[in-house]
Amino acid sequence: MRRRIITFVVLLASFSLIYSSIAYYALSKTPSQPFIAWGVYSQSGTLANYFSGVGMNVTTHKALNWHFQVTNQMGSIQYVGIVYRLGNSTSKSPNATTPASSAPQIGNTSRFIPNGQTASINFTWTINSESQAGGLIVLNMTVNGQQLSPPVGAVRALKFRFFFEIWTYDLAANSFLYGYEASGSRMGSWLQVWFNAA
Amino acid sequence: MRFRQLALLGTLLILVSSFSATTDKVSGQSTPVDIAQGKIVQAFQIVQQADLDGASPAAVSQLASSLNLALSYEQRAIQLLPTDKSGSGVYASLSLNLSTTTTVQALSVASAAQTQTLLSQLGAYSLALAAGLGSTLLVIELHRVQNFVRKIRLRRLRLE
Repeated sequence: MRRRIITFVVLLASFSLIYSSIAYYALSKTPSQPFIAWGVYSQSGTLANYFSGVGMNVTTHKALNWHFQVTNQMGSIQYVGIVYRLGNSTSKSPNATTPASSAPQIGNTSRFIPNGQTASINFTWTINSESQAGGLIVLNMTVNGQQLSPPVGAVRALKFRFFFEIWTYDLAANSFLYGYEASGSRMGSWLQVWFNAA
Repeated sequence: MRFRQLALLGTLLILVSSFSATTDKVSGQSTPVDIAQGKIVQAFQIVQQADLDGASPAAVSQLASSLNLALSYEQRAIQLLPTDKSGSGVYASLSLNLSTTTTVQALSVASAAQTQTLLSQLGAYSLALAAGLGSTLLVIELHRVQNFVRKIRLRRLRLE
């Protein structure tokens, strides 16, 4: 009788362990690499033909309507910010760990994006005028309705560039941080578009 | 029941913090825009927690829409701040109210999600234990089952 009880207990424990493991596996979330995917799209809705003309020349008073598509695959809702900067050919580009802090920020937009969804964020800009400053051409622009004159110039108004950076809100730091949290470290993500002021 | 009490407690905390936030303005520590910003972040924190607790994508999407609307009000409040302080205050207030409402909704969603997750886990592990018990009995009493099958076969043979 005692042997039967021991057998019963051992078998019950073994089977319960096996089935509980199956239950645990079934209830567990599938592991996935968190990431944020994004792109800057031209007026035609493509990743090309940004200036609707030949080359990368932008004429004054020509409004360019671009938009960003930002997809959140981080596993939970994210508070995402996009920072816009204007640079030139000598500006230091952002990288995987640091933003392009030396290039002046010309605006930002933030949005809450649920997991698995894609947000569309408009970016409309116009060159209002050009002026000379120390041998360089500086621009007076309107970006998303805000008029501004970034302190960046370019020789003969050639090779300006926009830097676009993804920032995400970090609740522990209580502020936006560059990039997004990916497997314990932050992953910087940025885009750039070159243009000439014609 | 416990989750309902927690949700109620959370709601009360939010209402108290909303009240304390509005009194900040009186003491001159924060502007309405700062308060609205703080509330949006607070709401985001709770919505994210609800999401991690297993809230449905549809519920999280709806909460995100409310947060984005609160954010747009807050941005409008910032835009109006240099030129129209009262208009800015109105938008900051709209943002604050919407963030508070979203926080309350998120707490409710989080509570429901936690309950659902708990019930799912309870169901799955109960089923695992029941299956374990069933398998054990089947193994221990296998000889009886075999005897029973043998008896049925014999009875059939006799009838034939």
